[in-house]
Amino acid sequence: MKILHLYYDIMNLYGEYANVSALERIIENSGENAEIDRLTLGDNADINSYDFIYIGSGTEDNQKLVLKDFAKYKESLAQFIDSNKPVLFTGNSFEMLGSTITDCDGNVYEGLGLFDFKVVEQNKRRVTADIVYTADFLEKPIVGFVNKCSEIEGIDKPLFQVKNGIGDNSHSKCEGIRSNNFFGTHVTGPVLIKNPHFLVYISELISKNTSGFAVSDEHLQNETAAYEVTLRELTNRYAQ
Amino acid sequence: MRKLFTIIVCKILKFVGGLIGKGSSLPGQIALKIYPNILGSIELPKYIIAVTGSNGKTSTVEMIAHTLCASGKNVVWNKEGSNQIEGVTTLILSNSTLSGKVKCDILLIESDERFAKYTFKYITPTHYVITNLYRDQLTRNGHPQWVYNAIKDSIHPETHLILNADDPLVSCFGYKKDNITWFGVDNIPTDTKEFDGVYNDGAYCPNCKSPMTYSNYHYDHIGMYECANCGHKRNDTEYTVTDADLEKGEITINDKYKITLSLKSLYNVYNILAAFTVASIVGVDKDEICKHLSNYVLKNFRVVTFTLGNRKGTLVTSKHENSISYNQSLKLAAADNEKSDVLIIVDAVSRKYFTSDVSWLWDINFDILKSENVKNVILAGTYCNDLATRFSFSQVQKDKIKVIESIEDAVNYLDNDSKEKIYVITCFSDKGKFLDKVKVD
Repeated sequence: MKILHLYYDIMNLYGEYANVSALERIIENSGENAEIDRLTLGDNADINSYDFIYIGSGTEDNQKLVLKDFAKYKESLAQFIDSNKPVLFTGNSFEMLGSTITDCDGNVYEGLGLFDFKVVEQNKRRVTADIVYTADFLEKPIVGFVNKCSEIEGIDKPLFQVKNGIGDNSHSKCEGIRSNNFFGTHVTGPVLIKNPHFLVYISELISKNTSGFAVSDEHLQNETAAYEVTLRELTNRYAQ
Repeated sequence: MRKLFTIIVCKILKFVGGLIGKGSSLPGQIALKIYPNILGSIELPKYIIAVTGSNGKTSTVEMIAHTLCASGKNVVWNKEGSNQIEGVTTLILSNSTLSGKVKCDILLIESDERFAKYTFKYITPTHYVITNLYRDQLTRNGHPQWVYNAIKDSIHPETHLILNADDPLVSCFGYKKDNITWFGVDNIPTDTKEFDGVYNDGAYCPNCKSPMTYSNYHYDHIGMYECANCGHKRNDTEYTVTDADLEKGEITINDKYKITLSLKSLYNVYNILAAFTVASIVGVDKDEICKHLSNYVLKNFRVVTFTLGNRKGTLVTSKHENSISYNQSLKLAAADNEKSDVLIIVDAVSRKYFTSDVSWLWDINFDILKSENVKNVILAGTYCNDLATRFSFSQVQKDKIKVIESIEDAVNYLDNDSKEKIYVITCFSDKGKFLDKVKVD
């Protein structure tokens, strides 16, 4: 399996590399070989030669810097998503795929335009929250953390429903975007470590699009126990 | 009249609060309600020294206060650590005369980095120390660049900056300013040529965003950096650790002034260097500073030695949600030639607010514990499974690791006749849960 971790050294707000480590391990435990390419600004990735693509979250400045470089992948990424291959963008990386990003000074940056949504940033207040989301394709909720300063309007196919915490904007009960097997969410950090069921789901998508290997989840006891504790703590907290 | 009334109210509340052991921010909070501009109307001393940054504020401020007091200066400082505007207001008003004059030689203020712009709206520091900017409490701080912008808004043009030259982001505060004193560490034996952390926040220049190179790393992204594109580089320093022997526990400042360390970590070296710099600027004799800082043991309970049955141990308070703080503590245990067992506790992520986020565990370089000096690693607390997951991705030998959720059970497990000492690495939020089960020295 070929995995691409793009902008690994600049879109890495905290611990996001571990999403790729988790995938590498589950693929290898399922008896397949996992080849990871870590590329960054100035590199040229052959997007459609991969089986999975990941980008993590960055600072507002770094996201703008990456956006300039990222524009070159517009066609190939659209093709990749059209072919149902799985992609995960966490934090503000998925914002780059919308129509525009307006920064706190009112400067407008063109997104890749794969989706119609618009992003507006501010610099007055950091928006952070522990979250519990649900998704129709997962049996159990997603837990995690959002750390952003933007509001997003205009997503018609949300990825998650907000159970606790915050969504795309101050009035939305939805979060993130899904299109085929493209997953974009503002949940930051090692999402796939914290949600082993989501890791298994993504791995099965990789399997389906490749050799059809049987995904093994036997090694995930610690991850599952940790997930149950976090879900319990968050549920208790939000019940108060 | 309003000023007098506000000062009296604040003093009474502080006094009553002191009797019932209440926190130090409420009196200031009420004073600010009565008279929002009260700080602007107080006559302040000649020296107003502010200290901010991600890590080391409290320790640095304590060492500055200790050195200045020991050399006969009259210092008012926020030793209770209330470092937002309310706490600073309490500090200033409760040390003010009724006519509104703070009677001391030096007002020394530890300031929260995100809220410094509010505190220093009414007070203009004469000197402003910025220690470092790290990934720290990102669940409320956003990220270091966000904090940088917040601190930037708190700097008055006339304030003399005292900056850590080895931190590439902190150094950006020095742009287009000339009233700066730089401090830093020269190449020392514990440096590495290659980056050895999990993530590198020095990979790109904070000024122009081009790839940045280092000739030497002191730890994490702290070191000798240079950007070939814009020329942003580690400045020459006026106050410099020219030699550091961490094993022996001695540093030399400016090739001449020797200080012995009670805590042999590079972290502590930076705090001492910042304190040395401030005391020198204020005019204390440098030999005298060395005398006061040598073997100085912090009273802020960040490092606590204890006895558990027949075993000796050290608890090193490390900040949850702060990977660099953890790395420093792990290095302390790994470098100790007396072999040790290491207990890591993550039970409550923060003492001040609720979060269950443990993303920061993935930024910590736990590989440090593969050292031969470390015998067993015990993972405890509510988030022990997250720790276990993280360790399963580390190079620490599997047979060293034991997961025990209950802190009490972990203490019982360690209460044996092993020869090794014990290092406990945990945060303010959790250290009491361990210390109340052992004998604190």
